[in-house]
Amino acid sequence: MTKEKLKIGEVSKPRFEFRTFGRDLEEAAYRMTRLSVPVPEKVWERTSEETYIVSKTNNINNTKIRDGKMDIKTFVQEVDGLEQWNPLMKGEFPMTAKMLSEEVFSAFQVEMPALDKDEYSLEEFLAIIKIHPELLAVTVEKERYGYMVNDTICEYAMVWINGALVESINSESTEVEDIKKTIEMLGLGGVENINYLQAIKRVTGMIDKKLAN
Amino acid sequence: MVASVIPRYEFRIFGNALSKIEEKIMALSPREKTRRMDSVYLLTPFKRKNNVKIREGIMDIKVLEQEHAGLQQWNPFLVGEFPLDADIIKTVVFPALGVESPVFEREKYTLGQFIAEVITIDPDLAVAYVWKIRHAYTVADCITEVAEIKVNGASIQTICIESEDAGKVLEAKKLLGIDSNVENVSYPLALKRIMGLTSLPESWNNIDF
Repeated sequence: MTKEKLKIGEVSKPRFEFRTFGRDLEEAAYRMTRLSVPVPEKVWERTSEETYIVSKTNNINNTKIRDGKMDIKTFVQEVDGLEQWNPLMKGEFPMTAKMLSEEVFSAFQVEMPALDKDEYSLEEFLAIIKIHPELLAVTVEKERYGYMVNDTICEYAMVWINGALVESINSESTEVEDIKKTIEMLGLGGVENINYLQAIKRVTGMIDKKLAN
Repeated sequence: MVASVIPRYEFRIFGNALSKIEEKIMALSPREKTRRMDSVYLLTPFKRKNNVKIREGIMDIKVLEQEHAGLQQWNPFLVGEFPLDADIIKTVVFPALGVESPVFEREKYTLGQFIAEVITIDPDLAVAYVWKIRHAYTVADCITEVAEIKVNGASIQTICIESEDAGKVLEAKKLLGIDSNVENVSYPLALKRIMGLTSLPESWNNIDF
């Protein structure tokens, strides 16, 4: 079976991912810049502001909202410490109560709040989240720098979680062995795989655990 | 409980782009001292006038006495050193947090026991682990601090001006070019914002990409 050649910014089959968060990933980031092949200019530097909805009751669905659009990914499997996530739903605000109850709150795995309107704007949805004891809306601002190392899509990012800065680094590919080799090339062997959901929960105190460094 | 110092007026800001103010501080004062320390803050989503923290195994509580001219006057008092009597936790700490006290199964608690068995199981309480590098300066006769802090691993800067004399703090603010409309943000409020225990205002540390 031949490997699928990954291209940055293009759709591929579901990828495996290694990501970690810490406060000092500069050495790995430096190695990433030096080991990378040239990448398309559109991924050199990207910025975004997103709202993540984290749920105290689950770590398997990752919900984020950017520019009024919701995107939920669900955890599929872990292979050799690498995680595979697949899209679960995509939606746009205003969103119907039916979609919120059947696809969104079910993904949060929390008690369903009363939804007495036919559809909800983003502001109305966030107001529901604000008063729900099991859910938290978190502002996440990102400055991302794209690279390609060992045929894996890589990124170094500065991430502000409710205004506080952490660094993040990742490698993703359809090929597990390529990511494992990339982790070693970047000097990140043995470093914990920490996804966005975990990092946000740790910084916001929902999980009492440290980041990678 | 022993009153440790005369209550000071305080003006504090948090952000990731405080270098202009830091440069002005450094132009007005030599760096007098640098200290590294870890603190554990206890927080609730409720509005409280208390700042409850543990540093080097000692718990202290600062009570917000008053707000004056955009400054906050905090009155600190020592609660005690761990291991801490359950009775003190019940009669001093929980009332300060504004949370109903649980039933205690021990007579004394080490810090680890207190966090694991009392704090983390209470849905109304949250813990912030805060690591600080604090640089001390003097501006307009005020204790002035520039600190890099990590909140549960995430970085942010803070600058603080404090003095027993409110007028001196206002003078220092003026010297540093801090407008009167800049929000005074206490440690508990900043930590609660980072941890999502309270809403983020529009003005909170927007990242200028």
